[in-house]
Amino acid sequence: MISVTKITSWAGFVVAAVALSAGAAQAPQHIDVKQFSKKVEDVVVPLPNEVFGALGKLGPVNWKEFVRTEKGANFTERPRIALLLGTVIADGFIAVQAEDAPAVKDIGQRVLALAKGIGVGNSITPHAKAITEAADKRQWDNVRQELDRTQNSVQQAMNEVQDQKLSQLVSLGGWLRGTQVLTSVVSAHFTAQGAELLHQPDLLEYFGQKLNSMPEYRMPVIESIKGALTEVRPLIATGGKPISAEAVKKINLITTRLDGEIVTRQ
Amino acid sequence: MMSTTGKVLATALLAVAAFSAKTLASVDDAQAFALQAAEPYVKEGFQVREDYWGGDLGAGEKKAVRQQLFKGNEYWFWMGTEVERAKISVHIYDSDGKLVEQPDSWQKGHFAAAHVVPNATGSYFIIVAVEESPEERTHWALVYGFR
Repeated sequence: MISVTKITSWAGFVVAAVALSAGAAQAPQHIDVKQFSKKVEDVVVPLPNEVFGALGKLGPVNWKEFVRTEKGANFTERPRIALLLGTVIADGFIAVQAEDAPAVKDIGQRVLALAKGIGVGNSITPHAKAITEAADKRQWDNVRQELDRTQNSVQQAMNEVQDQKLSQLVSLGGWLRGTQVLTSVVSAHFTAQGAELLHQPDLLEYFGQKLNSMPEYRMPVIESIKGALTEVRPLIATGGKPISAEAVKKINLITTRLDGEIVTRQ
Repeated sequence: MMSTTGKVLATALLAVAAFSAKTLASVDDAQAFALQAAEPYVKEGFQVREDYWGGDLGAGEKKAVRQQLFKGNEYWFWMGTEVERAKISVHIYDSDGKLVEQPDSWQKGHFAAAHVVPNATGSYFIIVAVEESPEERTHWALVYGFR
């Protein structure tokens, strides 16, 4: 992976190129998106801090309320570790929102331990070190960037050994934890704008399809998530109507239940 | 002075080197150019995702990628290719197929970028295209950032 921070020499050229450019080429004002239905790439799953950022712009959030650093259960099953890893990385983003340096450092070490447990520890050791250093300096943007790099490195390492399914479970774990926190915040102080952030039907479909392609992972937590996605779908597919406060509360109950199943041994 | 055999050998080595350089060019190279396009925006507070899309397209071909965007955030999508004489483009449409990008979106040779401030949370289509290229297949990569 080529890092943005390594690139400097062309930046000036790009700025100049933009200045000289006549602007965007003429693009059609409307397209038939169905014509691309067979050419659509997989969805890139947003990071938890993308939704946290949008949520934070709607009003103050007491992020400290959601910080957690408990080590929780240790698992040996790789799918369970992958789900938990995604959840813990999401906890890292929450700790950054709360600007809680000790929690960030604890979470960095937890991420490293989980990555080792799944055989990809080497790929993230430098990121864990960078997270600790940035947290000590309270350089929160750098911590966010390192958490993103951590997740990306873990997933790339998994993909390189043909463990794409585990990689998808990491994304799923993060998305579920992010959704749990989002619904907690919106439930506490309901606004239609906050509820709208739950309008993510393609992501639900994407995760549902991915889970259905994992018949080898027959374990209760996976089955629970599959069922939960089916429960959530009608709550957010409102046909253009606002997502209700009741729906937000239901999604919060569902994702809280799933979070409990992911972080604890049953 | 080089002998005939030497000239043939040198020509063959050059051909092999040129072939290797061409075949070794990859989506990673394209990604490096996409990130170069992103660099000035990082200084403006955009967080560039490590994850990215990439592939190869023939001249005149398009591809759509789907992305969940959140109202309240501001996004830039940057596209690049290592084929310097190629012309590429990126545009953003909402789920109804309506063009939603900002007027400061731009296109310049083997770089292109699209800017969107979503007025609704949901799925959007990012349409990437290789409009012209001297190559049969042109690697492309798309990265995005938000703030």
